[in-house]
Amino acid sequence: MLDAAKQMTKAEPAKAFRVALAGNPNCGKTSLFNALTGARQHVANYPGVTVERRTGSCAVDELRAEVVDLPGTYSLSSFSPEEKVAEDELMDGPAVVVVVADSTQLQRNLVLLAQIMQTGANPVLCLNMADEARAAGQTLDLPLMEQLLGFPVVETVGHRGHGVAGLKQAIRRAARTPVVRHKIVLGAELESALAAIRKVLPASPARALSDDWTATRLLLDDPAHTKRVESLPGGDRAIAAARGQRTRLESLTRKDISVFVTERYFGFVDGLLREARTLAPRLDPRELSDRIDAVVVHRHLGLPIFALVMFAIFWLTFAVGQYPMEWIQAGATWLGDTVSALWPEGPDSVLRSLLVDGVIGGVGGVIVFLPNILLLFLGLAFLEDTGYMARAAYLTDRLMHRFGLHGKSFIPMLSGFGCTVPGIMATRTLENERDRLVTMLVLPLMSCGARLPIWLLLIPAFFPPIWRAPVLWLVYAAGTLLALVLALALRKTLMRGDDAPFVMELPPYRLPTLRSVVIKMLGRAGLYLRKAGTTILALSILLWVATSFPKPSSHRVDEQIAAGEVVVTEKVDAAAATPFGSAPLVLSQSELAGRRATEDLEFSAAGRVGRALAPVFAPLGFDWKIVTAMIGAFAAKEVFVAQMGIVYSITDAEAGTQGLRAALARDYRPVTGLSLIIFLLVGTPCMATFAITRRESGRWRFAALQFGGLTAIAYLLALIVFQVGRLFG
Amino acid sequence: MSPALEDYLETIYLLVQEHGFARVKDIARARDVKAATVSIALRKLAELELVRYERREYIALSPHGEEAGRRVFTRHRLLARFFEEVLGMPAAAASEQACAMEHSLTDDAMNRLVRFFEFVGSCPNVVDSFRECQTALGPGCSPEQRNTSGACALCSEKEEDPQMSLADLKPGQSAVVTHVGAAGALRQRLLDMGILPNTTINLERSGPGGEPLWIRCHGARLALRRTEATVIRVRDEMA
Repeated sequence: MLDAAKQMTKAEPAKAFRVALAGNPNCGKTSLFNALTGARQHVANYPGVTVERRTGSCAVDELRAEVVDLPGTYSLSSFSPEEKVAEDELMDGPAVVVVVADSTQLQRNLVLLAQIMQTGANPVLCLNMADEARAAGQTLDLPLMEQLLGFPVVETVGHRGHGVAGLKQAIRRAARTPVVRHKIVLGAELESALAAIRKVLPASPARALSDDWTATRLLLDDPAHTKRVESLPGGDRAIAAARGQRTRLESLTRKDISVFVTERYFGFVDGLLREARTLAPRLDPRELSDRIDAVVVHRHLGLPIFALVMFAIFWLTFAVGQYPMEWIQAGATWLGDTVSALWPEGPDSVLRSLLVDGVIGGVGGVIVFLPNILLLFLGLAFLEDTGYMARAAYLTDRLMHRFGLHGKSFIPMLSGFGCTVPGIMATRTLENERDRLVTMLVLPLMSCGARLPIWLLLIPAFFPPIWRAPVLWLVYAAGTLLALVLALALRKTLMRGDDAPFVMELPPYRLPTLRSVVIKMLGRAGLYLRKAGTTILALSILLWVATSFPKPSSHRVDEQIAAGEVVVTEKVDAAAATPFGSAPLVLSQSELAGRRATEDLEFSAAGRVGRALAPVFAPLGFDWKIVTAMIGAFAAKEVFVAQMGIVYSITDAEAGTQGLRAALARDYRPVTGLSLIIFLLVGTPCMATFAITRRESGRWRFAALQFGGLTAIAYLLALIVFQVGRLFG
Repeated sequence: MSPALEDYLETIYLLVQEHGFARVKDIARARDVKAATVSIALRKLAELELVRYERREYIALSPHGEEAGRRVFTRHRLLARFFEEVLGMPAAAASEQACAMEHSLTDDAMNRLVRFFEFVGSCPNVVDSFRECQTALGPGCSPEQRNTSGACALCSEKEEDPQMSLADLKPGQSAVVTHVGAAGALRQRLLDMGILPNTTINLERSGPGGEPLWIRCHGARLALRRTEATVIRVRDEMA
């Protein structure tokens, strides 16, 4: 095998031999993967499914191994996309399959080993978390296990990097030995049944060694395998044989076939462990984990403690993250100003505007989220590695399940209050694709931090002081409630289907290592920058074009000055210098610039689209100004405030908010304000959300569904509010 | 079809299941008759389009024949099992009795019996209590005796919670799995977790509001919802 790999390397130096890591969830496979590959890894999704595919490379002697980290699965039963993907990868014939097992849970973990042995793989058994198992009094006779199994068996402590050198040796050893049919003791009845099915399996040389596995799946009536074999010539005979054997075994054992086969797997594992394992009597049966759990998931204390933990993480993410965000914004502004200064004073340069407003603004818009993402994922990685994440899901599942969601949806949705983007990225902890998609789709309804400036502008403009705090609270509550209701509606319609089983393992508490937490955090940040960042940058440049072009050849306000209708003064407070209603109108320099900016925006593509769309939004009480500002707000929600400022020619930031509020209160009725708040809360998720949803769901249509669906719902709700509100004045 | 032909069909069915084909001499050996006798029976079966000759002396079942063969075999197994496991007859005698009986029952009577056996068989309590009743009180255990309180405590005890599920346990209680229901992904996940008949499960606690349940099984901690726990039927650890 190694020789073959060597030849391959000679012929095509780019091609490495492939090593797959398989194992149960929570077996420490990922930290072992990190220890093997270091920073040389690549994270992507499997095509068409929201299952992460992680690959990396690792040097085994002079050879380069391409390491694939398979999704964690309890078995290869192809009920979930993870299991399907793992099975497909295994059938694709990696040179070596490292089966990682949690040494403290060998009984269950080794069932997967038995299945992988049946697939005719070339395995190495890696007994991870060996230190914990030893501390618990378990001793394993590794040479005996190797002898019984017929392939290398090693012990490791993945998150500390112990035993990795030995694992590499074992991989090399396994790669050298030719792959043989593994001897798995499953008992005379099952073995004879498998042999009978195997005998009539249609020949397929590529899968010659995996026919034990195929026979098992046919015996268990696995739909995917049955369909595949059925399509082969002579396949119907194999299926008939499997059916016959199933009837025979079921009547013989009086057991359901799936129970019987699983029992035989467990029997195989038990036999192996009986030979090779010695257990010292335990002194203290109550582990430290149990003592922690007695408090942390206590019926009454559990939720308050969870609330505290989440508060700490959000404080870290959004309060501490605020400072680097401000630095990034300040840095972008400084860079923009510096670049602007390179151009001489005078007429606007398109290139300058592109660089400053398009590129620097766009890149700034991408990296401004980085502190939040880094800090949130630092916190979440910590929760995950300690084992608390599973407890959080345990505590919140009752609430979330009422709305068709999963306990693990809670933390991503909560993160959405800070920013939708890291919230959507956090849905990766959800194993079930449907749960994950539903959570992702409704997440923009959690009012994010970028929308707060909008509420702070609009609520005081339209509501008397006493109503302001309750309305703000109501905005957040309504968003959350709508998210939950919508999730339930989605689960009843588009995402229909049985609940994914919530049979969730609660790993023991472990002390996380800095290394694994940091690798996780940086992995997420890198994914965000590479995958979503590029889309966000492209869209922000596109939006810059839309709001800047075409440019008017002349400004009305300049014509008015020429005609003497408008006079420009050097005084700052021009309005005070003008008696009310008098002509000519007196404008200050900054007001003049504001008027020009307003006319530019009005003339631009965005302004034209805004005007064109205005009739569509008229039933909601919106005019072209609001619609144009909303187009800008697609770049980022808080841009709405700045765009309204431009529309109203109010460019001075300090006095601006006050002036803008006064202008809004003058031009629109409170019911329009309410309708606007609802539309901005529910509709038009920002482009960063759009980009990340497309990335994380793996498909454009989910991003489009989210955008279109939420906007349609927003339109409907705003319409109802405005029309009903108008009736009551 | 005559009983003899049905027996041949059953033999062929079993041989095909085991080897993928049947040969005249194998059939003759299995039924303890001469090859010539087998050939006559085979000709009749071929006329009924139940078997076909693949190559010289290799015989396969037609789809129709396989169906019929399976039916005869299942009947045989079921009756034999009933005589052996429920009524407690020795294996050989049970099989012989089944052979004698399997041909004389009409399809309808057989189907009804099948359903009854399935019902009895799926509830091990019934069979077990019948057995225990037999051994405890001898063959004369009459309905009156059983219903008098205390005379046969076994029955009343068993009947108390035949449907007890994991969800009925109280925190701190342990129980032994008797049956795993459900289908598809949930069933697979439960089996993967090692929740199999005869596994001991301890319910340690439940979440806020009584859900999800926190259990321990094979040394691992698992959380599952109440609806999922109800598919796991359990019996008291002591029983």
